[in-house]
Order: sequence, then C-alpha cells, then structure tokens
Amino acid sequence: MSSALWIAMVISALGTLLMRVVPFLWMQRRIGSEEGLNAMPQWLAVLGPLMIAAVFGVSIVPVEPSPLSWLATAIGLGVALLVWRRTRSMGWPVAAAVATYGVLMLGLGALAP
Amino acid sequence: MNPAADHSPWRSAMQGVRESIPLLGGYVPVSLSFGLVAMQAGFSTWEAAVISVLIYAGASQFLFVGMVAAGSPLWLVVCMTLLINVRHVVYGPNIAAWLPQSRHWYWLMHGLTDQVFALAHTRLPQLAAEVRFSWFAGSALLAWGVWVVGTVIGATAGEAVTARWPLLGEVMPFALPALFLTMVAPRVTDKRWALALGSTIAAALLLTLYGLSNVAIPLAAACGALYFYLVPFQPKKRTA
Repeated sequence: MSSALWIAMVISALGTLLMRVVPFLWMQRRIGSEEGLNAMPQWLAVLGPLMIAAVFGVSIVPVEPSPLSWLATAIGLGVALLVWRRTRSMGWPVAAAVATYGVLMLGLGALAP
Repeated sequence: MNPAADHSPWRSAMQGVRESIPLLGGYVPVSLSFGLVAMQAGFSTWEAAVISVLIYAGASQFLFVGMVAAGSPLWLVVCMTLLINVRHVVYGPNIAAWLPQSRHWYWLMHGLTDQVFALAHTRLPQLAAEVRFSWFAGSALLAWGVWVVGTVIGATAGEAVTARWPLLGEVMPFALPALFLTMVAPRVTDKRWALALGSTIAAALLLTLYGLSNVAIPLAAACGALYFYLVPFQPKKRTA
C-alpha cells in the first residue's frame, strides 16, 4: 500500500473508533451527572431496539437466495421462535434453527432436480 | 458457594465468549470472504489483516478495498467508509448506563459492532453489575479476534476453504438471524412496539433485497421510529 493509502486507512479507522467511543463516553458522563438516567433522550432509547430489529432484517436474506433457501429460512426462523417461547434462552433456539436450516438445505437440495 | 468466585473476571469473560459463539456463524464466512476479496483487489495478507484489526467494520471494509481497487479518490473512500459507519454513534449511548467507568473503553469500544451491540443490549441488563465489564470484554475480543483470523485465512486459503466446505458459507450464517430473532422477540411487548419492530424488519429486508444493505440499518430503524412516534395508539377505554 502507498503512504497515501495507509493514511486513508488510518483516518477511516480512527474515525470509526471515535464514532464508537465518544458517544459512549459522553453518555457515561451525562449519566454520572446530576441529571442521571433522565439524561438519556427517549428517542435514543427507542432507537436501540429498532437498530437490533434492523440488523435482524438485514440478516434474514439468505446468502444464496432461492425458493429453497427462503423456505428453509422461514421454517428455521419459525423453529427458533417456537424453541425460544419454550426455553426463553438464546442458545437452544439458535442451535435448533441452524440444525433445521442445514437439514432442509441438504435434504431438499438433494431432492431438487 | 463462594460469591466472589461467581464474579471472577475470568469466569464472566468466559461467559461473554460462550454467549458470543453464535455470532461467529456470521463472522467466519464474512471475514473469509473479506480476506479473499482483499487479495483479489491487490492487498497483501498483512494489509488485509491490518484493515480488519483497525477498521473492523464489515460493510465498510468491503467498500474500502472495492473503491481503492476501482481507483476512486482516497478522500471519497474515507468519506464513504465513515458514512457507512456513522450508525455506530447510537450504539454506545444505548449501553452506557449498564457499564462501569473504565479507562479501557478507549480501545475496548472498538469492538462495538452491530452484532456485539445487539447481544450486549440484550444481555447486559440481565447480568450482575460486577460481571458486565468482563462479559463485554470477553464477547468483544472473541468477535474481534475471530474476524482478524478469518481475514488472514481468507486471504491465504479462502478459495480452497470455501470450495472444500461450501456449506460453511451457506448454513453457518443462519445462526445470525436466529440469534437476532431471540433478541427482538422479547421486545414485542405491545401493539406499538410490534408495529415499530415489524416495520423496521420489513424495511431492512426490502432495502437489502434491493441492494441497499449498506444503508439498510439506519434507514430501517428511522422508519420504525417514525411508526413508533407517528402512529397513534389509544389506550382501551375503561368501562365504568
């Protein structure tokens, strides 16, 4: 890499780090102040769960989209939801969903012409 | 039982490592792909690894090497990389209340990716205050380490690995949506949240399908926030 490219990379890295660190430290300082937890704006508290939902939405799209992978995705997520409702844990639903998805992709993939 | 042992930093860091393992289903294939793409774009293994260590943000790393390979002006490469990562500014404030003050945050917050944030936002409030720092450190460092190792493997043997284990790239990533589903489901507590979360998921899905995955997360969250604030929900009238 040229010197200019190294500099561009370092600026990108520093900028990304600052975007992660500075708002965190700013909020910790506000929480530590007299205003306490009320310092957290409501819109920011609402945005947290919505960002997780957005990450979920992005991750739903299969790596190789096809009718088979969409079907396996729908069934796999259904299994994850059912196991979650029974166990209220995070590990078992993930294990069950990945196993279901893998079996469907392998099984139905072998049956497909 | 010794309560001090339960709160030992090592044990809680290991708990963070254990609970982050499902994230690796997404990290391993994507980091392998990044290593491979970086090599094809003319970067050496060492350069690809440094990008993964220092920038450590999936989508923007792909954009960075892609734009450099295409000969884009470097100022534009930097601007686009930072623009894609700007969504990270809302992550830190959302978990700040659950974490203690520490001088280590200056470098440890670098591990606050989309996935680590989602996991931390769900798990931190459920953990004892004493174990949260170590838990976050274990979780973030595992994800960061795997991302860098995956990049190196991808750069050195990416084609061979994906050819030998094709399901690695197809089945393992499904751990991510399954994990995120278990994080979203408990938040559906009433109609208002159901509509906001549902519209966010649908918007993110549609934007990704239309090739806008780079901006899908902030735009979809903004769409959900609009629903949350604009769609009126009237509480049920009580009968006298």
